[in-house]
Amino acid sequence: MSITNDRQKHIRNFSIVAHIDHGKSTLADRILEYTQTVSKRDMEEQLLDNMDLERERGITIKARAVKLNYTAPDGQEYILNLIDTPGHVDFNYEVSRSLNACDGAILIVDATQGIQAQTLANAYLAVDAGLEILPVVNKIDLPSADIEGAQKEIEDVIGIPAEGCPAVSAKVGLNIDKVVERIVSDLPCPSGDVDKPLKCLIFDSYYDSYLGVVVYVRVFDGVVKSGDEIYMMGTGKRFTVVDVGTMSPFGLTKSDYLAAGDVGYITASIKNVADTRVGDTVTLAEGGVTEALPGFKKAMPMVFAGIYPADGAKYGDLRDALEKLRLNDAALSFEPETSAALGFGFRCGFLGLLHMEIIEERIEREFNLDLITTAPSVIYKIEKTDGSVVFIDNPANYPSPDEIATSNEPIVKATIITPTDYIGGIMELCQDRRGSFIDMKYIDQTRAELHYMLPLNEIVYDFFDALKSRSRGYASLDYELDGYYPSKLVKLDILLNGDVVDALSFIVHEDKAYARGRKICEKLKENIPRQLFEVPVQAAIGGRIIARETVKALRKDVLAKCYGGDITRKKKLLEKQKEGKKKMRTLGTVEVTPEAFMAVLKLDDE
Amino acid sequence: MNRKKLGLYIHIPICEKKCAYCDFYSVTHFEECSRYTDSLLLQMEDFSKECSSYEVDSVFIGGGTPTLLPKKNMVELINGIYRNFKVLKDAEFTMEANPASVDLSTLKKYRKLGVNRLSIGMQSANEKELRGLTRIHTFEEFCNSYAAARKAGFDNINVDVMYGIPMQTKESLDRTLTEVIRLEPEHISLYGLKIEEGTPFAKHEDKLVLPDEDVEYAMYTSSIEKLARHGYKQYEISNFARKGRECRHNLRYWNCEEYLGFGPAAHSYFKDRRFSYKRSVSMFMDALEYPDAGINIFEEDYEVTPSARVDEYIMLQLRLNKGLDENDFKERFGVDFGEKYAKDLKLYLDNGFMKYENGRYFFTPKGMYVSNYILSSFLTFESEIADNIASGLDK
Repeated sequence: MSITNDRQKHIRNFSIVAHIDHGKSTLADRILEYTQTVSKRDMEEQLLDNMDLERERGITIKARAVKLNYTAPDGQEYILNLIDTPGHVDFNYEVSRSLNACDGAILIVDATQGIQAQTLANAYLAVDAGLEILPVVNKIDLPSADIEGAQKEIEDVIGIPAEGCPAVSAKVGLNIDKVVERIVSDLPCPSGDVDKPLKCLIFDSYYDSYLGVVVYVRVFDGVVKSGDEIYMMGTGKRFTVVDVGTMSPFGLTKSDYLAAGDVGYITASIKNVADTRVGDTVTLAEGGVTEALPGFKKAMPMVFAGIYPADGAKYGDLRDALEKLRLNDAALSFEPETSAALGFGFRCGFLGLLHMEIIEERIEREFNLDLITTAPSVIYKIEKTDGSVVFIDNPANYPSPDEIATSNEPIVKATIITPTDYIGGIMELCQDRRGSFIDMKYIDQTRAELHYMLPLNEIVYDFFDALKSRSRGYASLDYELDGYYPSKLVKLDILLNGDVVDALSFIVHEDKAYARGRKICEKLKENIPRQLFEVPVQAAIGGRIIARETVKALRKDVLAKCYGGDITRKKKLLEKQKEGKKKMRTLGTVEVTPEAFMAVLKLDDE
Repeated sequence: MNRKKLGLYIHIPICEKKCAYCDFYSVTHFEECSRYTDSLLLQMEDFSKECSSYEVDSVFIGGGTPTLLPKKNMVELINGIYRNFKVLKDAEFTMEANPASVDLSTLKKYRKLGVNRLSIGMQSANEKELRGLTRIHTFEEFCNSYAAARKAGFDNINVDVMYGIPMQTKESLDRTLTEVIRLEPEHISLYGLKIEEGTPFAKHEDKLVLPDEDVEYAMYTSSIEKLARHGYKQYEISNFARKGRECRHNLRYWNCEEYLGFGPAAHSYFKDRRFSYKRSVSMFMDALEYPDAGINIFEEDYEVTPSARVDEYIMLQLRLNKGLDENDFKERFGVDFGEKYAKDLKLYLDNGFMKYENGRYFFTPKGMYVSNYILSSFLTFESEIADNIASGLDK
């Protein structure tokens, strides 16, 4: 068997990057169709997004890869490896690793919307990864499409030539041939060395109950085959390769080897997905490389929330669900916690709010559990008066004010791109969310790019929704963590009927405590049904009450008539009522809807 | 030998016009009164054997509007009751009547046949409110009917009044009650309006001008006080009577005693089963005329399990002002009520929703007004009942 470096000339490893909704998954579908990797008959929309949730939301959550065979007009045969990446800021790290597995990238820009925040963020990630970029203008079938405008923007804002770039409609399948031709002609082929020691980048992995963990890799140098002893340089684990092969949309295809330039999978009876961290380098245990690929990071949760089963008896089921999800999601962290109000549950760490929503939704759907989730919190860094430093991800553990020397909160650098009409409203929003303005650039006459330093804890509360509503959906957001900065923080407690409900406490900036306390009391009032007694809802800092609302006592709840002896009807009515009560959480003597715990999230007035 | 007691309910599902708030089963423009009467008689015959060991001590002919049934048919029906069941001499025999559908000679005839209690649906003494309810009579017509009933010899009359109805105020309700009290009926029913699903009121709920719930609560409590001042003692959530004039038939429902219902939509509790018939008079008549046709007229039919009996007992006894007797409870179910529900009871007793006196637990007016909420915490609804209720009973 002789494997030459030359074979790489017929391989292209590429990814598609775009702002959300600019047509990434649709273009991928069309390319699969065009290269006859998938026949029209087997075609489903968003073929690579095989989670129901991804299809419904029109987003990509997990990275995936697929091998396409393409015969060029000149008769040459090519292997095109398409690596699909998530598009959301929560999954930035995954995106950057996927991009590192490629040699080139298609940058899609929507001809009706132009460049958006994630277009920029993802384009920069691709440039940082050293990729050749092929711009593609999409949605040219729409009446408002402005192809030249989009091309000009790509040149002006991102600084890459776009004249003559493919202009397509992925939706109707127009000019897909041009895109594929340009992938071959414009994007570089891999330039690894099969004779060097093995060096592969892990860009994804998932757990399969038959195969163990399936590891997706890009081979940079060397060759890997069944029986090889491999070594994960970041985690230090060793495994014996069972199989290698490539990915088709319908499953895995075994092959004899993977060599420099290839994208494929490795299985090695790996039990734990945490042993195959995205970004890690795979080499051979004997005679492997000594230097790993750069950029490996452990996934860092940024947002934390308590997740509790709505039915306390389902605690074990929730643990099982979280464990199963973690098998395929190394970024998800959780540990048991207890709340006086909610009982036994877990404090979970997420990459961001979207990640949190996805995990919640998957638990509810795939494991059929009803959840109560507390308001998300970020990690605060507290320097205590005794000189120690603690990181707090749960407001319940926040030290008392006299123990705190300095409190610090995470600040992000945010990029917002918006039509100029909405700049005023967005600046107001950022101001309101304690943002400090860095600068603003006009992309063209109609759109601007704003930069702000914003506290992360302001972003985790409905910032994205507020941004969307203030810009009629046009503004886009991207951010990255900048660091911890001192801040005047206080812990706000919520009292129902005079008792503090631990699950409702949260950390807030001093200046905003009063307004937010009042707002939360109002929101809670809407989520607490009238009961036999009047229920005071209060917000307090330390012992000081700063806001109060009252849920009036229940009035009429009586069945006046007994309907000619129709006892069944009355029984049914009372039974329904009892069922309704069961859904409530009892906090002390107060019954509260499960939604109440999320009420603190929706605070924007508009 | 002490024979078992039984109540009979006969449903006459005929109305001249449907009132917009009412969801009782009735039809308009009904022309098969003789055929329907025959069906009822057939159904009574079917039950008469099973009831040979029972004595009937209450009969209630309700509706609909029973007084719309032609006199000839009503006479046949009443005679049929006597023929098929052993009706006690001193049985309470009630007929519902709507103002404007009765005349003196008919009333005299029914009185003579043994009907000894009349229940008249007045609802309000305010013309505007009557129109708002889409009633077809005026207050004056009610007064005439009431006078005719007295003249015909009825010395036990109930008047239905509603509160919480469109356009009603505390003052207008007070005036209505004053008018009723002036007539000195033996019994007054005071029902709060409930918007029932599927009625025109439900459809146009947003357009109804209803008293707000605080006003409604004040209406209820002040009415209880006013009626008490005039000698009408509340004995159930919605019922008030002069001493000794409580409605024996309705008490059966609340005391978990047996009753048989005849006609479509009628409910029965008989030999530990609860059953009722579908809301279709034509299906009812067909089924009784062609017993072999296999027409199923049952809307529900289930056995009341021992645990369901406990639930029913609590739920029904607590509707009564005298409340639930702990000794009787223990005797029936072998359980100490006070102990079993100690935690809940303490909450309700301490906060003035319930009282405990002479071995009885009962609601205060404040508690009665939120009784559903409280009752739902006492009831267990064990799965067997829940299953029964869930299986096909939902219309």
